Amino acid sequence: MSWRNQRIDDRLIHGQIVVAWGVALRLARLVVVDDQAAASAWERELLASAAPGVQVSVLPLAEAVACWAAERGAAGDAMLLLRDLRTARVLVESGADVPAFTLGGLHYAPGKTKLNEYVYLDDADREDARALLRRGVKLEAQDVPATRPQVLTVLDPTLAP
Amino acid sequence: MSRIPALLVTHADLGAALLRAAEQIYGPVGDVEVLSNAELSRAELELAIVERVSRWPHGGLVLTDFPGGSCQQCGLLAVRGHAEVVVMTGINLPALLDYLHNRERYSAGELAERLKAKAQDSVRVQRARPA
Repeated sequence: MSWRNQRIDDRLIHGQIVVAWGVALRLARLVVVDDQAAASAWERELLASAAPGVQVSVLPLAEAVACWAAERGAAGDAMLLLRDLRTARVLVESGADVPAFTLGGLHYAPGKTKLNEYVYLDDADREDARALLRRGVKLEAQDVPATRPQVLTVLDPTLAP
Repeated sequence: MSRIPALLVTHADLGAALLRAAEQIYGPVGDVEVLSNAELSRAELELAIVERVSRWPHGGLVLTDFPGGSCQQCGLLAVRGHAEVVVMTGINLPALLDYLHNRERYSAGELAERLKAKAQDSVRVQRARPA
């Protein structure tokens, strides 16, 4: 069955992923696409150690399109993890036909405004979100499986096409 | 031996609550800072830990709550280059109290191993005797 969820989360693998999503979706694989983490052996090791019993891959963005296609249809369920909306946009514009992203954690930074308790966006994030929406990519916010997904354009009507 | 400082890095308000509980039992506590991961990205949490451990010239302990969580991972990322700073994960009240009683007797590494044993030993399963 492979891809079960594509999540944008600036913490990458952490408690919500390991305990909540990992159990709810019975994930066999976590695929982290992040140039910074992929470039560091220590960060790759740390991310892998955070999810015992789950196969963790940490890839640079340049390898992600091929991985997206190859993983589709593979045995077992997988989650894709990206740090930000820019990475999601580049991935889609590079040819990965990702149907939807879940915004699971984009935390506060100067210049970002609050949409809910765990999603803050700035102008650049909004531009990336609009680019994804124009391509028909569904964007929702949801931190853990026990909460209901919130449509991003409802949380932020300025994003509506 | 000098006192080993500590930083509690936890989800939500767990660290602050643990410290309040410890103070009720031990008394007023100094040289323990608290940091919540609430509303912090991975990068911001790592930076916040780096800022604190950089003030420790003789090392210290980063005490985190949950293996695999952002607090532990960012703690480990933050202590790169700080050989005398040790991350201990799975802190609970008995271990925190043990730290307070022994932080002037051991090095950071020795103390971390001691706290691990204390935290594990304090988890008990017990049943009432039959009436």
